[in-house]
Amino acid sequence: MLRFENVVKKFAKVKAVDDLSFEIKKGEIFALLGPNGAGKTSSVRMIMQIMEPDSGSITFDPSVMNRGKVNRSKLGYLPEERGLYQDAPIMKTLVYLSTLRGSDPADAEQKATVWLDRFGILDRKSEKISTLSKGNQQKVQFIASILHEPDFAILDEPFSGFDPINQELISDIIRELRDKGMTILLSAHQMQLVENIADRILMINHGRELMSGTLDDIRKKTISDKKLVVTYSGDVKNELFQQSSQIKNSILTPAGDWEIYFSENYSLNAVLKILTDAGSVNNLKTSDVNLHEIFIESFTNGGRNHE
Amino acid sequence: MNNRLKTVWNVTKWEFTRFFKWKDMIKGTLFFLAFGLIGGLVGIWVATDSITIPDIAVHEYGDFDRDHFQSEEFRFTDRTDDSLESITEELESGNLDGILSIVSADSATIRMKSERGWLVTLRQHLQEQRTDLKLQEFNIDASVYETIQEGMVLHTEFDNGSESSSADKWIAGIAIFLVLVAVFLGFAYQFTAITGEKQQRITEQVISAIHPQTWIDGKILGITGIGLTYVVYYAGLGLIGMIALVQFTGAPFGKAILLINPGLLGLFLIISLLGILMINSFLAGVAATIDDPNTSQKSALMMLPIYPVMFAFVAIFNPDSSAIQILGIFPLTSYAILPARMVMTQVAWWEPAVAILLLAATAWLFRVWAGKVFAVGMMMYGKEPTIKEMVYWFRRT
Repeated sequence: MLRFENVVKKFAKVKAVDDLSFEIKKGEIFALLGPNGAGKTSSVRMIMQIMEPDSGSITFDPSVMNRGKVNRSKLGYLPEERGLYQDAPIMKTLVYLSTLRGSDPADAEQKATVWLDRFGILDRKSEKISTLSKGNQQKVQFIASILHEPDFAILDEPFSGFDPINQELISDIIRELRDKGMTILLSAHQMQLVENIADRILMINHGRELMSGTLDDIRKKTISDKKLVVTYSGDVKNELFQQSSQIKNSILTPAGDWEIYFSENYSLNAVLKILTDAGSVNNLKTSDVNLHEIFIESFTNGGRNHE
Repeated sequence: MNNRLKTVWNVTKWEFTRFFKWKDMIKGTLFFLAFGLIGGLVGIWVATDSITIPDIAVHEYGDFDRDHFQSEEFRFTDRTDDSLESITEELESGNLDGILSIVSADSATIRMKSERGWLVTLRQHLQEQRTDLKLQEFNIDASVYETIQEGMVLHTEFDNGSESSSADKWIAGIAIFLVLVAVFLGFAYQFTAITGEKQQRITEQVISAIHPQTWIDGKILGITGIGLTYVVYYAGLGLIGMIALVQFTGAPFGKAILLINPGLLGLFLIISLLGILMINSFLAGVAATIDDPNTSQKSALMMLPIYPVMFAFVAIFNPDSSAIQILGIFPLTSYAILPARMVMTQVAWWEPAVAILLLAATAWLFRVWAGKVFAVGMMMYGKEPTIKEMVYWFRRT
């Protein structure tokens, strides 16, 4: 659907995007992850042609092109900077924004009715946007981005402002849209949600790729794709974890367990010895590293970090 | 209709209906009329209440004949035999409104409790008495005096033989005034429409859907439409008022309408419309660079379109000066100056033609400039571009 090749974007002296390349395949959910200021929104804005890259190229699939130009009606966009016409009625706003992307007004109204019903705000369709809560305004904004049924939807922070129930609802809808053939690029901070819905992930920092692939690929690329969760009874000599070259990271969880991440060339026997030397082990289990942990691992220390 | 024009039309309709509400306008008019009616009734009540004939005691008549002190506006009483003290007591007790002491035909004193509105009428009355006295003194017949007082009628005619029509002058004046009204309305709505969108963070999703030029075109047309609708509405109300006036007063309004030159009226309409479009394009571009209208120094730029209207008044007094001739064609000023020149003097046929072409071209150029400034300026949150940066974008994009 999209090829982003060697793209560079500078603002004054800061390189927001630095020779970044990636490809989004048709019909997949592609997640763009990174800490604040990593270059996600700049990348998204360049894809949406709101700004131009200083160098590099962004190529779209011919299905979203028209006479050599991107057909904007084939794209959907939920910007990070949210905003709606506060003094305009909900339905009127949705129909207007949809017609700007080429929809027929009657068709847009019909589809908007279905979506508003699904989000539980159909009875308020004639009310002004300003009367809605922030969460309900987010729902309207989300509907506006996909109402015209684009081939490619770019959703910048689609879960922000929603409670957990509505976050799950948005996740389900994103999956449904993908299943119907829509290609989706999303950037988000809610790792658990991204982990559940993304087909592929690109992690960026300082405008550059840190790692990419499926969640399994990324797990394999991280130094610790597995972790041990250890429960001790009594005191723990956790200084042994810090002194050991076998253990890369150790975190005491709020529940009182220790999460142990291995170094690159670890020996399980050696690790187990350190764990038993540190105290009386009550319980021990292995666990996959989740995306949140990879994110924290990748963007906070990038090396040893013991608590 | 192609897609671009269709989108421009969609934006135009949206911008128009966002701000223009028939219900609100009719409510506003009714509110205005109700207050006008209440104000009128209060005015009539106050005026009627104050029509009490003042009691003036004349203590001295000076050179004037006391028989001439008969008036419908005043109740003069001859109090020459009474002492000033006793009359003053009456004034203080409220039985009298004033004490008049005439020293001579050139000097008199009126004593009152405080300033009164009828003093103007009294002064007029005394002046008439003085005039009569002086006419007698100099032995001048009243009819001779009236002849001297009559004014001279000066008919105006242009060197091509046509007569200047007062109706055309009125139309030119009204055209300039209505342009000013439309400009002020444009000024207000552009601010709300553009800076409001920027502050409400609506920009990004719209600008990702349509080309900035398409968006700004729709905005310029929609807001121009609002200005023109208000102008037509109020002009219509004025016309209804005039017709009503004719019904009650028999004023020669119909004759005045017949004096209007339709060709000239058509030209004024074209020039005014292009002028409004040009100014709204300019205002849209400036508004796109303003982050916060309360603090931005660029807000002052929005006042620029008023200057040509000021020049138009100069054109009325000196329509044939070289400077006014040039400003009458120059696109940034022609929309106000040319109509004034056209009714005040003879204008060569090519002047309106060139002025209209230049005005249309400038309006188009401002529209393109506004689109380019808009494309970049609207995405700058919390920062305003400098004029140097705006020129840079215009040249780059």
